[in-house]
Amino acid sequence: MTTDSAAVPGQALITVRDLGKSYGDFQALQGVSLDVQKSEVTCLIGPSGSGKSTLLRCMNFLEAYQEGEIRLDGALIGWQESSPRKPLPGRRLREQRRQIGMVFQQFNLWPHMTAEENVAEGLIQVRRLSKAEARDRAQLALRKVNLQDKTGNYPSALSGGQQQRVAIARAIAMEPRVVLFDEPTSALDPELVGEVLNVMKALAAEGMTMVVVTHEMGFAAHVAHRVGFLDHGRLVACVPPAEIFGADPADPRIRSFLQTYRERNVV
Amino acid sequence: MELDLFVRYGPALLHGFGVTLLCWIVGSLGGMLLGFVIACLYQWSGPGPRLVLQAYVEIVRGTPFMIQLFLLYYGGPHFGLLLTPVQAGIASFVVYGSPYFAEIFRAGFQAVPQGQFEAARCVGFGEWTIVRRIVLPQMLVSITAPLTNFFIILTKETAILSVVTVPELLYETQTMAAETFTYIEPFLVLSLFYWAMVEFTSWLGKRVELRVTRHLRRG
Repeated sequence: MTTDSAAVPGQALITVRDLGKSYGDFQALQGVSLDVQKSEVTCLIGPSGSGKSTLLRCMNFLEAYQEGEIRLDGALIGWQESSPRKPLPGRRLREQRRQIGMVFQQFNLWPHMTAEENVAEGLIQVRRLSKAEARDRAQLALRKVNLQDKTGNYPSALSGGQQQRVAIARAIAMEPRVVLFDEPTSALDPELVGEVLNVMKALAAEGMTMVVVTHEMGFAAHVAHRVGFLDHGRLVACVPPAEIFGADPADPRIRSFLQTYRERNVV
Repeated sequence: MELDLFVRYGPALLHGFGVTLLCWIVGSLGGMLLGFVIACLYQWSGPGPRLVLQAYVEIVRGTPFMIQLFLLYYGGPHFGLLLTPVQAGIASFVVYGSPYFAEIFRAGFQAVPQGQFEAARCVGFGEWTIVRRIVLPQMLVSITAPLTNFFIILTKETAILSVVTVPELLYETQTMAAETFTYIEPFLVLSLFYWAMVEFTSWLGKRVELRVTRHLRRG
């Protein structure tokens, strides 16, 4: 809490209030309120279709939410502070987005660029760094995810786990205030999940603010500071992991959700 | 074969080839540029403007090139648009090619997964940077072949410009044939000129394809 001049002490970095999002008649999210504290890891879990990815994608306005608000350090995400709502002009939305890193389930690396170019591109195009400096920083970021030997490889020559680590390097090289992870290990072969989770753990240990949609209950139980459980578009609970993964979670929906994991001895 | 005919008509034929090259290169590059702009507008606009763009594509694609050329060259003056034959030829070439190019680029946009756009937006790229740095290099992998194809088709469409007296290759060849009553030789030479253009385009297309698919080859 020392470097951020704009941060208000005691206030969450991201505040979500009464968030609502619908697609036509389908209510994907309703009445979701959530605080993400600085330097904390918040995991979002829940059955598929419960709205956890949608909630995450609202946080950087990849999905435009209709009701409620999401604020990053007090600034309303995606909308102007007016009534009725008008979307932010492109330039201002881009300024917000560069403070929010994103890691996707399908990696979404740019296939025509090497690992290093994938990381450096944003530094050059958005942060306007010189090519040499962008290259240095890209090397540094790739070292952080243990890929210093693969900087010249194209994504097609990398394993899924390596690709996802490049994607993480791409996100953190921009020095975002928070990184969003959308099921970062769901597309990986089981033996590659560990290397990605380890990188994420290291990142969390460094104090990076992270919001992680995941099915990795072990990660949620051991790394998260808070775990949010979503069901049918509602946030049922957002509590320390012990209250969810403890002997007897309060809500029957959480109990039945975790039961499927317990049956497979995952937790 | 009467070679002295070519000594006499050689300069005219070469000049005709030059005019053909000019109309083809400027006309089809212009058409490609216009097509690209149309595809970009289509990609980033709402249902209303899309309908207008679609109508343009359908109308231009639905009319023969010769009619478009006549309309522009003979109909133009009625609207104060006085063009020389070469100007009219190039302008109609741009219009004629644009919807086909637009459709090729539209397919290219669709071939790039949505996640590629999203990843770029999340880093904070502007839309034009996304097109230039992320989407174009990727769509070229799949559209270089159809682009090359259409450039090749257009080489031969230049012959139609002769009907509004553009002094291009076919026009000069016909003049030569009519004045000398020889047919085999002039049209053989004409074919060689077109063949050279097609081969060159095909070679260039392969070079571009090799370049844009670099990342798909390992090592």
